[in-house]
Amino acid sequence: MIRVENLSKSFGKLTVLRDVSLHIKKGECVAIIGPSGTGKSVFLSCLNGLMTPDCGKIFIDGDDICDRHTNINKVRSKMGMVYQAFHLFSHLTVMENITLAPRKLLRLSAAEAQTKAEKLLDMVALREKANAMPGELSGGQQQRIAIARAMAMDPQIVLFDEPTSALDPTMVGEVLAAIRTFADKGVTMLIVTHEMEFAREVASRVLYMDENGIYEDGTPEQIFDNPQKPKTKAFIGKLKTLRYEIASKNFDFLQLYTRISLFCQKYRITPKSSHSMQLCTEEAVFYLLNNDLASRIELSLEYSDKNGTVTLSLDYDGPPGNPFDCEEDLGLILLRAKSSQIEYTNDEKGNHLKVNLQTGEK
Amino acid sequence: MDGFIAFITADTLKVIWSGLKVTLLITAAGLLLGTLLAALLCAASRSKIIVLRVAEKAFSVVVRGTPVLMLLLLLFYVVFARTGMSAIMVAIIGFGLNTAAHVSEIMKSALMAVDAGQVKAARTLGFSAWQAFWYVTFPQAVAFALPMYRNATINLLQWTSVVGYVTISDLTRVINQLGARSAKPFYSLFLGIVIYLFVGYMIHLIFKLTERKGGRVR
Repeated sequence: MIRVENLSKSFGKLTVLRDVSLHIKKGECVAIIGPSGTGKSVFLSCLNGLMTPDCGKIFIDGDDICDRHTNINKVRSKMGMVYQAFHLFSHLTVMENITLAPRKLLRLSAAEAQTKAEKLLDMVALREKANAMPGELSGGQQQRIAIARAMAMDPQIVLFDEPTSALDPTMVGEVLAAIRTFADKGVTMLIVTHEMEFAREVASRVLYMDENGIYEDGTPEQIFDNPQKPKTKAFIGKLKTLRYEIASKNFDFLQLYTRISLFCQKYRITPKSSHSMQLCTEEAVFYLLNNDLASRIELSLEYSDKNGTVTLSLDYDGPPGNPFDCEEDLGLILLRAKSSQIEYTNDEKGNHLKVNLQTGEK
Repeated sequence: MDGFIAFITADTLKVIWSGLKVTLLITAAGLLLGTLLAALLCAASRSKIIVLRVAEKAFSVVVRGTPVLMLLLLLFYVVFARTGMSAIMVAIIGFGLNTAAHVSEIMKSALMAVDAGQVKAARTLGFSAWQAFWYVTFPQAVAFALPMYRNATINLLQWTSVVGYVTISDLTRVINQLGARSAKPFYSLFLGIVIYLFVGYMIHLIFKLTERKGGRVR
């Protein structure tokens, strides 16, 4: 369906893609993940001819899109694209947004196009908004319309460029649900995303992009649970870890709490557990700081998929000694009650405290 | 009041009507010519050819920076002096050029106001560059431009009042002459102002109707 051979693209001196080759079969749902600035979006733009690669070949369903004789508009009409910023036609109603291309390009009659659009609107659950203007809809609704608009051309391939990145967290779910609906229909999909859980669940294949190309390619299980290459491991690892550095007693604790709560949200940890995690972190940190046991703390929270626990690690300076050996502090009692295991070690780098917290999820 | 009614005779109205016709003709023809030229200028400003872009910029700066009366005098006494072209024709060309410079700026800003992402979205649906322009950029640009274009039109109507300098008997000139001849300048000027107001308001209304029809962006 899509065959990319030795694709390279650079902007001035900045090389974005170098010698990328890829073969995607019909019906595959490919998630493209990776850090920002590694050419994920540029890659998608090359695939539908919005950017011309410096060298290399791209075949879409057998057509070489870099060839000047290929009718790029024809190729594009078989290939939908959904953008981060929706880009609905703001002068047209929702219905007109969806029917415009089928009417003008596929030559459907107004009635045929409308019937089709109604079906698509049903699928994205926005039938009642058919006559609304795009500006009247929320971001999530606009994005679902954008998906329906792309699908109205009966594309064989749909490219999604970070479809949920511009959305408020409350609207991400509805858009992902809409994408999922179409993923089941056998359309070939390429999705650039930062929603790892979604990628794992929907994709049949995951590409990790880094170092100007496809760094690692595998099934979701391979990439997320058992990455082989160092950068993939680091990237996947970082996703599940929250790091925070505390340099003084007067640190911005509200920022830390917010980070913890967002971290918990990402792994679907219940608000109650999330709250207790904040509380435990707070008790541990302030116990150390207030008793002058530490002046700098490197804190990390690591989520483990397997048993649903979160490990709170504190690396700090100050005098050696397990704080849990000391007298009974109310905060420490609480911490002990909430944790399943507490481990203290000391070496030349300082003190290390590891606390396993139960999330009660699994 | 009686004096005013006595002032309005059939002859006066006939004279005023002949002046008004000239004013309307110059306004309408100037607007038409100006809009067509503006579209060309706008295209030139977005062209890949540097010479065209520079020429457009120079034209726009010079014409917008010059009082329209100066342009008119230049055209009438210098450029077209020996061609025997009618004064009204010269005025239409003069106001056409002036309007073109202003309207092309309106068009440029309206085109810029259209979200480039929507054009990209249209292209990825399979529309050609022209189709994307026609179905997406153009209708939105028109909706953005209409309010400014309406003001430009009303301004044009008022600026045409200087054509008396190049021997044209437009509304302003006949009003002035009526005032002088009848020694009732207040009556004639009052009538003149009312007519300008009325025509301006009609233009306003026509545009408002179109804007409501086409301007449902956002």
